[in-house]
Amino acid sequence: MASSTSITGLFSRLSLLSRNTTTATMKTATTTPTPRLFSTTSSFLARKAPPPASGGSAPKAARRNRQAPKSENFFRIRTLRRNMFSPAPPPLRMARLRYLRHWTIHRAWQLFRRKQHEAIDKERSRMHAGMYNACEELRKTVGPGSRGEGYLYRVAMEKKGVYGLEGVPIEYARFQTDSPAKEAWNHEWKR
Amino acid sequence: MAASSRGSRAVRGIFSSSPTICSRCATTRFYSAAAATETKASVTDAAPPPASTKTPYPYDIRSGLVLTRPPLLTRTLHPFENAYYFYQKRLEERLNTPFITSIYFKPDTAAQLDWSLKVQERGGTVAKELGTYHGKSSKAWDDELKVGDQLSSQESVLNSLLKDAAARVSDDAEVIAPEDVVPVERPAERLSEADKKNDVRRLDRQMERTLYLVVKGPDGWGFPADVLKDENLHEGAKRVMDQAAGVNMNTWLVGRVPVAHVVQEPVLGKDGEVQKMGQKTFFIKGRIMAGQADLKGNPFGYTDFKWLTREELEKELAPEYFRGVRNMMADR
Repeated sequence: MASSTSITGLFSRLSLLSRNTTTATMKTATTTPTPRLFSTTSSFLARKAPPPASGGSAPKAARRNRQAPKSENFFRIRTLRRNMFSPAPPPLRMARLRYLRHWTIHRAWQLFRRKQHEAIDKERSRMHAGMYNACEELRKTVGPGSRGEGYLYRVAMEKKGVYGLEGVPIEYARFQTDSPAKEAWNHEWKR
Repeated sequence: MAASSRGSRAVRGIFSSSPTICSRCATTRFYSAAAATETKASVTDAAPPPASTKTPYPYDIRSGLVLTRPPLLTRTLHPFENAYYFYQKRLEERLNTPFITSIYFKPDTAAQLDWSLKVQERGGTVAKELGTYHGKSSKAWDDELKVGDQLSSQESVLNSLLKDAAARVSDDAEVIAPEDVVPVERPAERLSEADKKNDVRRLDRQMERTLYLVVKGPDGWGFPADVLKDENLHEGAKRVMDQAAGVNMNTWLVGRVPVAHVVQEPVLGKDGEVQKMGQKTFFIKGRIMAGQADLKGNPFGYTDFKWLTREELEKELAPEYFRGVRNMMADR
């Protein structure tokens, strides 16, 4: 009994809802007779429709614009605008032997880069292996004095103070340069 | 289970030390420290494991410091690299859009006059280091250098840039006479005085390589190192550096992790007693940014020091010593 009443009530509510919505859409359709627009953003709606092309108001506005004072960047902009659309140069054309030479140069460069990368890889893995072996030996070491096995290793693995602002001194952030400084090294540095 | 079982495991580890129980169950292990040695000991079964019977550890643990000076200069480019970059620049000349002077120079200024004068002397080529070459002309195909032409070398690039940098027109827009042109100061040479004199104690030698500080002790050349005195590796390395080479160096220890190690095995008698202690030396890596080593009054008996590259170290150090530390050394 209760279930049946609830179901009917629900149906009635549904029908009410649908009736309300249909009336609302009908109202809006009647109040706005303009055709549907692609964009309904506020700025677009605020824009006025263009005036009919019969009056002489549009050319007047253009003349007013032309008489406006030139901006300070006028000449710069003119130079840029004149040269912005310079035609693109033609693609590289090479004869057969010239192209073969180009291809050979390209392949040689790829080979060169490959060798460099492999050397870098090898160097890094060698340095890592050195560290790994040292740490492995340290792990099996009975520490200084009465310390137990692996104590030094545990301390070495700690990262306290390694990172952060104080981690790397600013003097270390020196770039390598093509030519040395006038005084290449400060031998007289004193603490 | 609500509480962690770690405590009970720890207690079990303390009470039971019989070798029948596997080490994983019997002891608490930090970073699996005990695994390797204990398994080895149980396999041999001749002598009890040294840690459990409190025999003295037959090694002296030493902490050393490999103090390095990073390269100051970029590497010298391979001739092939120079040639390739030059080739690519000329191809770029063929492919780029023309240089428009009016964008970069105001008309009738000293800068504009200066620029046009230099471009005229270059035969109309905008680029400074490419010789006379026009990427847009009918001779644009002729973009390759002849064999042996030095135009692509670093030296000629540097010279052409320096020549271009000298001012040719004064501030009053008057052309300076060629004898009055002040040439731009050349950058310092990559080869220093210390290189020419082969002064191995100076730090401004071999500037595109890493240098390593080695000292001459009672046992020959090696990195400064000393036995640890109830301290950690990095503290020991810091102490060794300050005591051996003085405090007048601006240095930075890169980390606390050892980068290399050298082990000297102990000499054992017939019944396992230690006749001569072995040595385990762990090296921490350091970088020097300023200053110079000073061995005056060091307690380790070091008499001399050198700053050497990797190849020079190979000649100077004992072979087994070098084999221990060579892995930490960079190629350059």
